[in-house]
Amino acid sequence: MKKFIGFVVIFCFLLCCDKPKSLKANTYENQIGDTSFNPNLDNRNFKLCDSTQVLHKRALVKYKGGTKALENDLISQFNYKSKYQSFNGYFFIRFVVNCNDETGRFRMQILDQNFKSTNCPKELEIHILKITKALKNWNHAFYKGKAMDCYRFLIIKMEKGKIIKA
Amino acid sequence: MKIVLLLISFTFCFQTVYGQVNCYIYPENSGERKACELCDEAIKHPQGSKESQLLFDKAIAIGPKFDWAYYQKSVPYFKRGFLIEGLQILNEAIKLNPLEYLCYRAYWYWQYRNYKLCIKDLETYYSMPKAYIQFTPGGEKDMRIILGLAYAKMGDYTKSIKTIKDCFATYKDLDDFGLADYHSLGVIYVKNKQYDEAIKVLKKQLTINKDIVDTYYYLGLANKEKSNKSEAKKQFNNALIKLKDKNRYYNTNAGYNVYESDIQVEIDNLQIH
Repeated sequence: MKKFIGFVVIFCFLLCCDKPKSLKANTYENQIGDTSFNPNLDNRNFKLCDSTQVLHKRALVKYKGGTKALENDLISQFNYKSKYQSFNGYFFIRFVVNCNDETGRFRMQILDQNFKSTNCPKELEIHILKITKALKNWNHAFYKGKAMDCYRFLIIKMEKGKIIKA
Repeated sequence: MKIVLLLISFTFCFQTVYGQVNCYIYPENSGERKACELCDEAIKHPQGSKESQLLFDKAIAIGPKFDWAYYQKSVPYFKRGFLIEGLQILNEAIKLNPLEYLCYRAYWYWQYRNYKLCIKDLETYYSMPKAYIQFTPGGEKDMRIILGLAYAKMGDYTKSIKTIKDCFATYKDLDDFGLADYHSLGVIYVKNKQYDEAIKVLKKQLTINKDIVDTYYYLGLANKEKSNKSEAKKQFNNALIKLKDKNRYYNTNAGYNVYESDIQVEIDNLQIH
């Protein structure tokens, strides 16, 4: 009997292991990219106007003066240090622009030139996030005549530790 | 009329890329057939929703060789800044059917400003014997033009010009051209300091679509370099006028974008000198 139970347990275990990865990881948010508040990362003062309706329509969020102004604002705040020089790669930064043009829920990934996850000097990582959070000229999304919260992301490309314009 | 025809053809391309697939081409009760039917269900839900993602997962589990499921599942990740996650999924589709999906990955490499990887995928694609004409997902540009623009972004203007001209050579008549194709070539000519050629193709652009602000700006630049000061001034002013036109054409995937301040700087400089 014990043997039989043991066999059933092992069989069930193998059956679970055999499931494709995607099925095992079915812990999706309601929408891909929905970002919940994380007290360790997020500003407590940042509020969504309507947390039940945060859009995923990045093109609806504008920056005053367009990409050129955005890049200039980033570069004017960027303090280059020689220790950054070895870094070539990308920062992908996702965040929300709420209906009052405020930003929050920042999440960042660092990629190398082959688009693989990588690391950069910690100081550079902190600095890039800080100057991105300091961008103030966002214009929130309007959708169906209504001011909305909306997700947006930025790609910051760096060569030899310096920001490269688009 | 040409523009209307082009728009219709673009709409057709768009629908081809995003439309449903015909599940009946797969044998009844096959994994692919079941996966295909599940994908048809999935795309009825909002893109990126939990419901759609779960159905794609189910489809992949039943028919792991049905490439379209991976492709469709990957789309919202790319659109929302999750490139690594999107690539992990799309790469499965590419393993199964590179001919169909290499251009799509190249497009996202282009969007995410990795021109080296974009070029690598497109060179691989166009070296395939069965490569066919593919467009950006919005249908506005032939991917060979994107390849040309990517070479330009890497600083190789000569290769860029050759690639775009080779693309044009395959078009049978003017109706085959996209609404900003000549513009793209003209911009690269300006970058490569071939101002006569630039003026010629940018003027040709105006016969196809005269609603791109930047066309006038680059015409202005080319004329300025040719010391045609009055013509340059006229074109920069045309650019400013076009900028105020609500019906102007937004050249998606242009690669190079001009702002009002850029135009104003050129006008001011012409007045000083």
